[in-house]
Amino acid sequence: MNTPTAPHTPPSVFAVRDLWKVFGPKADRVPGDAGLAALDAAGLRARTGCTAAVRDVSFDVRKGEVFVVMGLSGSGKSTLVRCLTRLIEPTSGTISIDGEDVLSMDAGRLRELRRHRAAMVFQHFGLLPHRSVLDNVAYGLEIQGVGRAARRERAAEFVTKVGLEGMEHRRPGQLSGGQQQRVGLARALAVDPEVLLFDEPFSALDPLIRRDMQEEVVRLHREEGRTMVFITHDLSEALRLGDRIALMRDGRIVQLGTPEEIVGSPADDYVRDFVRDVPREQVLTVRAAMRPARSTESEAGPALAPDATVHEAIEAVARTGETARVVQDGRCLGVVDQAALLGVVAGVAAPAGKAAA
Amino acid sequence: MTATVTPNGTPATVPPATATPMGPATEPAASATATATGALRAFARDRRRPIAAGAVVALVLGALLLGGGGWPAALTVDLSGPLGTTSDWIIDNRDSHPLFLYGLGHVSNAVVLSVRAVYLVLLALGWAGVTAAAGLVAWRVAGARLALVAVAAFGACGLLGMWVPTMQTLALMVVAVGASVALGGVLGLAAGLSDRTHRILRPVLDTMQVLPAFAYLLPVVLVFGIGVPAAVLATVVYAAPPMARLTALGLRGADAGVMEAAASMGATARQRLLTARLPLARKELLLGVNQSIMMALSMAVIASVIGAGGLGDRVYQALASVDVGAALAAGVPIVLLAVVLDRVTAAAGERIGAAPARHARLGWAVAAVTTAAVAVAGRLSGRLGWPDAWTVDIAPTVNTAVDWMTAHLYSGVPVIGGTADWAGHFTTWVLDPVRGGLQWLPWWAVLVTVGVLALLIGTWRTAATAVAAMAGIGVLGVWDPALDTLSQVLAAVAVTLVLGFAVGIAAARSARLARALRPVLDVFQTMPQFVYLIPVVALFGVGRAPAVAAAVVYALPAVVRITTQGMRAVDPAAMESSRSLGATGRQQLFQVQLPLARPALLLAVNQGVVLVLAVVVIGGLVGGGALGYDAVFGLAQGDLATGLVAGAAIVGLGLMLDRVTQPTERRDPAGKGA
Repeated sequence: MNTPTAPHTPPSVFAVRDLWKVFGPKADRVPGDAGLAALDAAGLRARTGCTAAVRDVSFDVRKGEVFVVMGLSGSGKSTLVRCLTRLIEPTSGTISIDGEDVLSMDAGRLRELRRHRAAMVFQHFGLLPHRSVLDNVAYGLEIQGVGRAARRERAAEFVTKVGLEGMEHRRPGQLSGGQQQRVGLARALAVDPEVLLFDEPFSALDPLIRRDMQEEVVRLHREEGRTMVFITHDLSEALRLGDRIALMRDGRIVQLGTPEEIVGSPADDYVRDFVRDVPREQVLTVRAAMRPARSTESEAGPALAPDATVHEAIEAVARTGETARVVQDGRCLGVVDQAALLGVVAGVAAPAGKAAA
Repeated sequence: MTATVTPNGTPATVPPATATPMGPATEPAASATATATGALRAFARDRRRPIAAGAVVALVLGALLLGGGGWPAALTVDLSGPLGTTSDWIIDNRDSHPLFLYGLGHVSNAVVLSVRAVYLVLLALGWAGVTAAAGLVAWRVAGARLALVAVAAFGACGLLGMWVPTMQTLALMVVAVGASVALGGVLGLAAGLSDRTHRILRPVLDTMQVLPAFAYLLPVVLVFGIGVPAAVLATVVYAAPPMARLTALGLRGADAGVMEAAASMGATARQRLLTARLPLARKELLLGVNQSIMMALSMAVIASVIGAGGLGDRVYQALASVDVGAALAAGVPIVLLAVVLDRVTAAAGERIGAAPARHARLGWAVAAVTTAAVAVAGRLSGRLGWPDAWTVDIAPTVNTAVDWMTAHLYSGVPVIGGTADWAGHFTTWVLDPVRGGLQWLPWWAVLVTVGVLALLIGTWRTAATAVAAMAGIGVLGVWDPALDTLSQVLAAVAVTLVLGFAVGIAAARSARLARALRPVLDVFQTMPQFVYLIPVVALFGVGRAPAVAAAVVYALPAVVRITTQGMRAVDPAAMESSRSLGATGRQQLFQVQLPLARPALLLAVNQGVVLVLAVVVIGGLVGGGALGYDAVFGLAQGDLATGLVAGAAIVGLGLMLDRVTQPTERRDPAGKGA
């Protein structure tokens, strides 16, 4: 899943700048006031009675990527994703979708955005208990005003797509958690949105089912290439799904980067602590362990792509007993040897200066 | 009994621990310091002392300055003059004044016309058509078993010779329920969607629900006179609050996640309401309809006192002449109607959410066609009215049995005595001393007692309301009859609580007993208040003791049920941990279950008090005397001034009793505002 950042940057779908969301009395004054804005959560609460859920956050969501926002509970990630379609009204800052300012949209334009451009999948599914699976999936279309026959036909297609065929006429209450979330996913897909927003969609599911659902999302993304914003508190989920990850703490983004950057070069002690137990060899690529080839090394040994994981390199090196070459377009970029690979796993040496290239 | 009465003595024996400058000033100060400390237990412990000290100061001051005796005449306001004038004016102008001609007259006419129309439809369907319709509707919404019950119930109504009164009551019910569901629904919608409306409406609805049904009769009679319009409107006003409350509850309780999902898909406010919020609340809405129907039936029967006609009227007339047989013949259809209506609407509520039945439309079509066919067949065979040959007059049989009971069970039964003896003893040994004691107490001591009790359980606000309500009774000049009613209420509540807690605790500890009790409680809780008077008159004759007995029987099921539920809801982990420490069953009961179930027990007390008052007041019809009698007398003699004052005093008593026993769960939000 960890596709490397493409050489040319695709256009942003969402562009978020200096976003603040403060809850509490007279919340407006907090972002503008440098003194208040600098306070920590407890200090701000004591001074103003306000809670800043999102603090001065800026990022872009690029077309076609899976952008993961990850953080512990209370870090503001759920508030952040709701600000994107103004389910929660931001306090200050700007949000634009395809260059169009979201915060200045009137009610009709905003509905248009929610109906056609961004669809959301919720942690607790948010299904209508009195409707069948089919009518739940068709609900978004019904709101758009699509006729009964047309929306049911389209809904049936998406029910099949998420693997629920044969359950069209059941009620949500008769489904397991995983199946309910498939309905939630189908409902979001049925309106053919430009962006899918996921708010901790799999947190309420059992680990095995969660794994299934993650693979479902990976499959959907591979097939359709739809832009996704994915909120999670589960680091392994973030690393598995994310093209880029924004790690949040107390309303701020403490680090934004590819999974490899987050694990390989944590921005501060908090992030370092966070990723400490991650199996580094499965996230970092051979670039992290690569050194320039010496004379003969560029000729022999197993060849690896630059985005191969260290895990794969270890396997290759262990099998052949030689140093492995990193090859791109027939050109040898460098080599990885046992010492460098072990260094990555142990997390002691940072042998390559270009790790985060 | 003693438990309820002593607290006015208790404060005197508790020494004031801290020097308190002034009685009234200590209460806000105490609650202010207590809120600062935060802990709820400390709060409860801290506030007792200043309250006790304040009470002592008030009692001493009262004894020194005000002397003893009942409510002083100087502090009463005689309203009979102005009220009589108002009543006369309304009677004189009812046919001429524009207010009535163009406003209330239309309301009254519309009510009469709609009741008439429904009644004609029922007549046109004939007994066969109505029975078939009842059975088929029950079949569609609640299944075959309840369909049989419905058919049997209507058959029984005819068999008892009560077909016509049943149809009259049903016609009135249909109109009243329709109106109260519509009215309650609209109010509930407003309160469900707007926080401000909810804040305004909630205390009003809360209060309306604790007032005895009798209190609703007099104001409508004042405006509309005795007759069907007044009966229907009283029923509507009485039955609308539960619908409004439950609608608001359902709308406000809509799953926030679903509502957010709907918003995230770009639904308009209207779409969110119609496709999500209302359907999500459908359980509460149906429960609201169910409650409205049950309240309406209860009221439609009581409203016979103001000219509702129908089954209630038969019971009322029969009770007036102590004809238990005739009362029972009309009472049984009421109970059957109540059971059928309750079960069918409740079953409809439970069915919701399950997958929809297939061919639902076909089923309804079959039901409609069958009903029409049966009705037409009935019409062609000329049997629209219930055939006289098919009726059984149970009155003589029942009266013979009652006569036998009077002869053999009323008194002189060896060892246990007779029922009339019991009633007499209860009156002599319990009711009379309590009434005497209450009326002997200086009026200000009663007010202080009320205030202290309300403060101990509730907040200064509930205490203020309670004291004001009680003082209002004195001002109206009905202090003595109100204390008479109060004495009956206290006696009945004491008996109810002793029995209710005992049975409730037993049922909580024995699943078998709970299972055996459930159907009994179900039936007893659906019966209209009025019906309870019939058996007690048969057993105990007339007087105050039968009124108290009816009140006890009426309030008991609710108390038992709340107690059982509260005891069962006790955290099983706490129970388990106490068992693991080796607690005996008794220790568990007294150290874990009862303390943890305290909120439920307080709620049971509150409900018991409210329900007992409702029936004690109706007891005025069977010789209970006091306020209930004044109200009935006012209605019967056209002396609305007396009736209205009694009605207002009943309201005051209801408010006072509710506030004094206000359950703790309501206290917290109110306490924060203090």
